[in-house]
Amino acid sequence: MAKRLLEFRDRTAVVGVGYTPFTKDSGVSTLTLACRAILAALDDAGLGPGDVEGLATHRVGDSAAPSLVGPALGLADPSWYLDQFGGGSVSHAVVAQAALAVAAGVAETVVCYRAINARSEFRMGGTGRGLPVSPEVQYQAPYGYFAPPQQYAMYARAHMQKYGTKAEHFGQLAVTQRANAVKNPRALMRTPITLDDYLASRWIAEPFRLLDCCLETDGACALVITTADRARSLRRAPVLISGAAWGGGDSHLSGGRADPTTTAAAALAPRLYAQAGLGPADIDVAQLYDCFTYSVIVQLEDYGFCAKGEGGPYVASGATALDGALPVNTHGGFLSEGYVHGVNHIAEAVSQLRGDAGDRQVAGAEVALSTAQPGYILPATSALLLRKG
Amino acid sequence: MPERYGRPPQGVRPTPDRDSKDWWARLAGHEFAVQRCDTCHTARFPPRAFCPVCRTEDWRWAAVEPAGTVESWIVNRRPFMPGASEPYIVVLVRLAAVPGCLIHGGWDGDREPEYGQAVEGVYADMGDDLALLNWRPTEWHASP
Repeated sequence: MAKRLLEFRDRTAVVGVGYTPFTKDSGVSTLTLACRAILAALDDAGLGPGDVEGLATHRVGDSAAPSLVGPALGLADPSWYLDQFGGGSVSHAVVAQAALAVAAGVAETVVCYRAINARSEFRMGGTGRGLPVSPEVQYQAPYGYFAPPQQYAMYARAHMQKYGTKAEHFGQLAVTQRANAVKNPRALMRTPITLDDYLASRWIAEPFRLLDCCLETDGACALVITTADRARSLRRAPVLISGAAWGGGDSHLSGGRADPTTTAAAALAPRLYAQAGLGPADIDVAQLYDCFTYSVIVQLEDYGFCAKGEGGPYVASGATALDGALPVNTHGGFLSEGYVHGVNHIAEAVSQLRGDAGDRQVAGAEVALSTAQPGYILPATSALLLRKG
Repeated sequence: MPERYGRPPQGVRPTPDRDSKDWWARLAGHEFAVQRCDTCHTARFPPRAFCPVCRTEDWRWAAVEPAGTVESWIVNRRPFMPGASEPYIVVLVRLAAVPGCLIHGGWDGDREPEYGQAVEGVYADMGDDLALLNWRPTEWHASP
């Protein structure tokens, strides 16, 4: 553990959260979505565009860059920006790097955002446009394989075979998260589902059904990051960034991972916990990247909430429900709230720690974990540990 | 009854890069090659310049038997790309020749793969100096 990372603990805070509505067709550009979410987040923080010294996002060539958003909002000479290439795996690394910039004094206040028209304009892994630029594509695409549900289904199958994880475990996770979304006015999917509904949903790529997959969503989400000192004088109760880690590890790349049932999160988790001085038992609520049902199950194991191979039974036990030992994806997650490529998980964690999550509030939540795509698609992952200030 | 499976998209051709160009050329000639490090003799796939174990650049191709075991598979029930006739199977194979290495491929069998099943590669000529590598059960051709 680098000493400097320990000094970083609780130095910065999330002080504002902003959303656009989540839809299937926003009818506007990603630039417009980004500006709306950023202004909403600044308003939430009690700040204005004149306070913004830095902008950061992640994207895969599908959205407005900070260099466009800055001028569009009339920001004068932002002193720091980050235009991070990458998908969900780097979503939390963007906030981590913004927090480092703030802690280092490079920029006092930074807004992190993600704006996507992931249903109406740019579908992840979708057809009708060129294949992604990655050397790995040549070893997969000729076999009709490169869309994320295919890749995750492949790893889910390996986990099922090795550990006995069952379709019913995936289904219980989808049912539990939908029950949370029912209590979330922002969620796209608010009709309760049953395990039978899950099992009856159509096949996408076996072992995945439709209800294993997250929602292709149009929308944006933004977060305002500043110093812990400044946060104390702002409008909202601050949420401190206690730990922020990112790292490599292998991926789905050919020849890349000897054990496809363990993710890059298993290597990252000990560093994250050490940095924050916290462990799995300290976490009151977790927002775990749920591009697919299986990704939650494997992260429950790799972040140390249950033993390797026990993620499925852990979910089936009810532990991840709102009234369980570890409420997970309390907003409904990407499966039922909407998919803003990682950022709406962080926003929900902040909401839970502020205590303003309404009907889905976890009583007394003081520590939250929020995680990125655990490293199967790109060889990276990232995560944040947040604490009530 | 064994289920009949369709075929993957036919029109998606790989775009070889400077590291992989010769590997694809060898595959087109029905040779399955991996790189072997001259210094520490570690085998690796896919092709790239440096040995990840000893970080040296000198290596040579080693033709190996395309053989391994089934690590996982999916049955695609959506076309995903134009030209597919679903359902089609994609398999993840643990290569015997390269410890810890997994490789994707098409499935050349008329029933579903099994976890841990021994498989061997089958070259599929796609025309214009391109072959792909599909997989089938090892005993497939030996059965009477």
